[in-house]
Amino acid sequence: MAKLVAMQFESRKTSLTILLLPFLLSFLSPVVSSSYAQDASEGLAPWDQWDQDDEGKYISCEFDSDGNPQCEYIFPWGGNEMMQFKEYYTFETIKARMMEIARDNPDIIQFHEGLNGGTNARGEETSADTYEGWHYGHSSPWLKITKDVEEGEYNAFNGDTGNYVDRPDIMIVGNHHAREWMSHTTPMLFLETVAYYYDGGPVDNDGDGKFDEDPWGDADGDGQVDDDGDCLALEAQYQDSNGDGKPCNPGDFGVDEDFSEVELTNLINNREIYLIPLLNTDGFIYDQTVFCPAPAWESCPSGGWRKNLRNNGPEPLPDPNEQVDEDCDGVDLNRNYQFEWGWPLGATIPLIPGTCTPAEDEQAGISNNDVYTGPYDTTDNDGDGLVNEDNVDGEDDDNDGKTDEDWAGGNSEPETKFIQDMTEMNDDDGDGASDYKATLTYHSYSELVLYPWGHCTGCQTTDHDQLVYHGDQMAEMTDYTNMQSSDLYPTTGDFCDWHYGVHGSYCYTMEIGTAFHQHEDDIDHIAVRNNGIAFYMAKIADNPRERADLAMENVVRNQILESPSQLNVPASGNVPISMCLDNSFSIDLEMRNSHVMYRMVKPSRQQSDYGPKEWYTESWSMSSFSVAKGETCDLLNDSGQGYKVVANVPVEDDESGYLHYKAMVSTLGGTQKIEYPPNSQYHEIKIDYRAPYGTIFGSMVLFATIAVFVWGGLGVCLRMMMDDESLKEGILDAEFIEEEGSS
Amino acid sequence: MSQSDEFSGRMGLIFAAIGAAIGTGNIWRFPRMVGANDGGTFLIPWLFFLFVWSIPLVIAEFALGKRSRTGTIGTFRIFAGKGYAWMGLWTAWISTAIGFYYAVVAGWCLKYFQLGITNGLVGENVDTQLVWNEFLQSSGSVIFFQFLVIAITLLAIWKGAKAIEKVNVILMCSLFVLLFMSLGLSLYMDMADGTLDGFLFMFTVNWSSLGDPAIWINGLSQSAWSCSAGMGMVITYSVYMRKDEDTTLNAFTMGLANNSISIIAGLTVLSAIFAVSENPLDTVTGGSSAITFLALPEVFAQAPGGGIGAWVMMSGFFLALSFAAITSMISTVELCVRNFVDHGYEREKSVLLTSIAIFIFGLPSALLWITMADDGTAFPQFLEVQDHIWGYGLMFSGLFIAFTIWKYGFQKWRAQVDAGEAAPGLSGYLGVGVSAFRDDFINTGDNDIWIGRWWDLLMYLAFPFLFAVLILSYFGDMIANTPNVWDPTNPSGITIILLFWGVVAVGFIAFNRKLTERPLFRNIPEGAEVDISMLPGGSDELVVELGDCPEGWEHLMTREVH
Repeated sequence: MAKLVAMQFESRKTSLTILLLPFLLSFLSPVVSSSYAQDASEGLAPWDQWDQDDEGKYISCEFDSDGNPQCEYIFPWGGNEMMQFKEYYTFETIKARMMEIARDNPDIIQFHEGLNGGTNARGEETSADTYEGWHYGHSSPWLKITKDVEEGEYNAFNGDTGNYVDRPDIMIVGNHHAREWMSHTTPMLFLETVAYYYDGGPVDNDGDGKFDEDPWGDADGDGQVDDDGDCLALEAQYQDSNGDGKPCNPGDFGVDEDFSEVELTNLINNREIYLIPLLNTDGFIYDQTVFCPAPAWESCPSGGWRKNLRNNGPEPLPDPNEQVDEDCDGVDLNRNYQFEWGWPLGATIPLIPGTCTPAEDEQAGISNNDVYTGPYDTTDNDGDGLVNEDNVDGEDDDNDGKTDEDWAGGNSEPETKFIQDMTEMNDDDGDGASDYKATLTYHSYSELVLYPWGHCTGCQTTDHDQLVYHGDQMAEMTDYTNMQSSDLYPTTGDFCDWHYGVHGSYCYTMEIGTAFHQHEDDIDHIAVRNNGIAFYMAKIADNPRERADLAMENVVRNQILESPSQLNVPASGNVPISMCLDNSFSIDLEMRNSHVMYRMVKPSRQQSDYGPKEWYTESWSMSSFSVAKGETCDLLNDSGQGYKVVANVPVEDDESGYLHYKAMVSTLGGTQKIEYPPNSQYHEIKIDYRAPYGTIFGSMVLFATIAVFVWGGLGVCLRMMMDDESLKEGILDAEFIEEEGSS
Repeated sequence: MSQSDEFSGRMGLIFAAIGAAIGTGNIWRFPRMVGANDGGTFLIPWLFFLFVWSIPLVIAEFALGKRSRTGTIGTFRIFAGKGYAWMGLWTAWISTAIGFYYAVVAGWCLKYFQLGITNGLVGENVDTQLVWNEFLQSSGSVIFFQFLVIAITLLAIWKGAKAIEKVNVILMCSLFVLLFMSLGLSLYMDMADGTLDGFLFMFTVNWSSLGDPAIWINGLSQSAWSCSAGMGMVITYSVYMRKDEDTTLNAFTMGLANNSISIIAGLTVLSAIFAVSENPLDTVTGGSSAITFLALPEVFAQAPGGGIGAWVMMSGFFLALSFAAITSMISTVELCVRNFVDHGYEREKSVLLTSIAIFIFGLPSALLWITMADDGTAFPQFLEVQDHIWGYGLMFSGLFIAFTIWKYGFQKWRAQVDAGEAAPGLSGYLGVGVSAFRDDFINTGDNDIWIGRWWDLLMYLAFPFLFAVLILSYFGDMIANTPNVWDPTNPSGITIILLFWGVVAVGFIAFNRKLTERPLFRNIPEGAEVDISMLPGGSDELVVELGDCPEGWEHLMTREVH
């Protein structure tokens, strides 16, 4: 008996354990769930904030011998030290990398060197040789970046395809000055960013599980450029990773690292970008390989080679001595553009062969001809017998009815000829004006944003306010200082004065970093800090003036999308949602450019039995605006009356739940979509069921049908059962007796 | 002497089966599904799938249980073979695991009945949300009513089939009466405002949304869950069938009765809410427990006839709900108990053990993670997670039943081919194999309704298709709409479900050998023809009639003498 009990016990125990095992396991769920629910607390270390095990990690940290963490950026395109922006390019490697990226992205990036040449805008015959550096003979490598770059119009002079009339153009130039190495590194980061992220869906760049939550600048207007707060969540000691003394400002880990790939892709699809990272090939090669032996930040801590390698003597020209004469040779390319060339400020006396002033210590940056503008032009450009009587300044100096036709100098160098011809020969729409409405050049150093003019002090451009506006935006993105170029020091014949003065292009000079030969440890964070600039410039390239005007005049701010409390949901049919627009804002009614975005949030059809109410969110749809003729409306901030546009959002009468809506309006062919409400927010309004519940007749029909099926069916079944039961009654009784008998 | 236990008559079986089928799903889930799925539109797929999914499966269950004369484990052991007994264990486990928290839910219903008769939900200052939150957060009260439900269940099944039958007959009849009374009051309320809009809404088809797959999927799932089709309940109760009883008419009766009650409950709830609520659709589209315990008390408080009307409505409705829950609880416990008894355990001990287990393992669902939703309503998150994990496990119980049928058909055809009686190839399979189960176990001659080829079509074609649709749409929705859905620590994710299912299935498969080493006692009424020689279980020496004893297991018999 004892054995018997034990056996029972044992088998019961086993079966019980097995039976209950899953349930016991389910007790684990509260444990794991509580760890799941744990939130990030304050004062994280970078390795807490960003997953170190993740393949696409955003930063990586190692501990040095003292146990101090050393963290650095990890760029997702992988690659070697150079592509990780831990070391500098050489001429060969930068060109090779540009070619490689163009080869890998043939749809959007096209590689070129120099220009084909031909008859240029001022009637000169040029050839590919015209644009080759004097000394080493290289043309500047450059990239054409736009969607379907192999299609579109072919430009025989410049040699590029991908020219589209409706795509605004932007030129980005690095390395005018040979020793300013960050000025070519930064556009290379821009290039890597474009190549890697183009056509990507929303990408979680920093691996924090959120998407596009920290774009360049202060997107949410809270005064912090770290929109997602991941830098601000770090311990204080990690908040200033670039060591500039300012916590969580541009260039620090976690700041502006998760920009919108969709916006990036839209820009590449709607712009033609001409990227010339390394203009001054001669000068850069000479600076890197000869003038400042590696490491350059030690051999040339404060100076370096600045100019190109034009042969200025001192031997009589042509100079039989092919060696570079460091006392004499070279032209400052950023003083060689023709606008206000050599006049009246900043011009240096033209060198006469044999009269060069020896440099005292050129490696330390002390030299008296570093800003040599190039030789005077001694030809009679217009053939009227006079020489240099109408310099390039936008005015008809000699009152002969022609403007700027006999210039005093400038444009004498292969590099500046390259820029001028590329600009003047790039005219997709054939209107005779340059297509570049926005231009950008990187220099170093000083942490400044500079806008024209450079050639005069106490003067202002006619677009001064607008230039200041965009400069302020970029200064905010980089935490740099925005100022007029000539307030730093007056120049002559510089890139931006020429672009703005001659072609009306909004041109900015970014003085980036804190040294000419920045230490290689600083490459990545300085490039990152300035990475948003090129995208910003590309964005405004459609119409920088109007963009600034709208923003400055508060037109954007005073326009209003109906709020939920103003919205009138009709008793049936579409829900009209209106906007009040400023009369100066001529809306583009094309649906893809201006529209209301809406979606319904409805109770889920499949609710949880025991949990809270569940909702189903539709994806966003678009509805176009139409102008409500003759209707006026009040703008915000007492700024008067505007006109009304209305979008009819289709909401079925039998839908109920919440309607989310927001608007995008544009005047500019959709390139600048202004959001209402701003920053990807939206309005929400409750929508009640508005349809009739049904008709008596219809419902009676269905009721009758269901009743016949269910109740009728049940009745038939019960009926059959009753008949059957009475039939079996006899048998049952018999069985009963049998059972009684046997027991 | 025959030790077999059986229902006293056909009505006993029917009432027990209906009691199992009718549960809270009919009374609180159905009205909400109608509300969230465009009213009358929902009724079309719901009724369609009654005939396409639920009734065919119930027919199969009746046939299986009637022949095997054992609970779920034994049924799979006999029909699918020794190696498949774990499928029955799975079926029993899922039902029991649901029973753990279902007892808590049934307790809520009892509590609200108590609140109803004590007028605890009527009055100026009653905030139903507050009442609900306070109740849910007072663990003592929740456990008390959970205990009460289990105690009632225990008493009801202690004595076996005849007691179960008696309790079910009484409770079901009362439920009909109470529901009809509530319906009368509801319709009166709905008519009083001159619109009858609850009725209109419930019986008006929105033709444009009839094509919405979500409505069809919800119609299918409502039909599948509410009828308890394929969940093993009917297998369990048909163990107590009298010997010559019908398998098919019962299935139709059970399915139609289930849907009848759904319609009455739906009309009651919707009419009352539409009569009173300003935004009725907001109310009826919420979660089930929210409608039942927050909205309905508010609505019932405004019943005609002042305090008395409210009192009648409130206590009547919640008593009906409690009865529905308790009869379902009874079938759940009985399903588990039957499996113990089949394997030679004493009934009383099995009942006690199961009840205690259900009480203890229900405690976490009663106590843990009482969470506040965004709208300020408390809900038991642990219970919800349990439901999330085990609810869809029921689908596999149905799949196993279908598998057994497919397997039987295939093997019969192979055997006949080997014996030269059937043609090899597809035509032979279609001729012999596909209809084998129906020929041998459904159309036995005892059935009142002859089941035609349509049943084969539904079992072989419609079932796998609909099963796939349900599973895929369930997991597809989950993957699409749940953040961190693959995170195993996310209690509403997918990994946790698959993990638990996997562990259970692997554990059960591992345990299968041990399980089939025990004898299996079949509950066969005197003189019944329940030949199983053609089944895999027929060659299993350990499968015996109750009262017989396989060699080496005599010690189990000793306990019977006292």
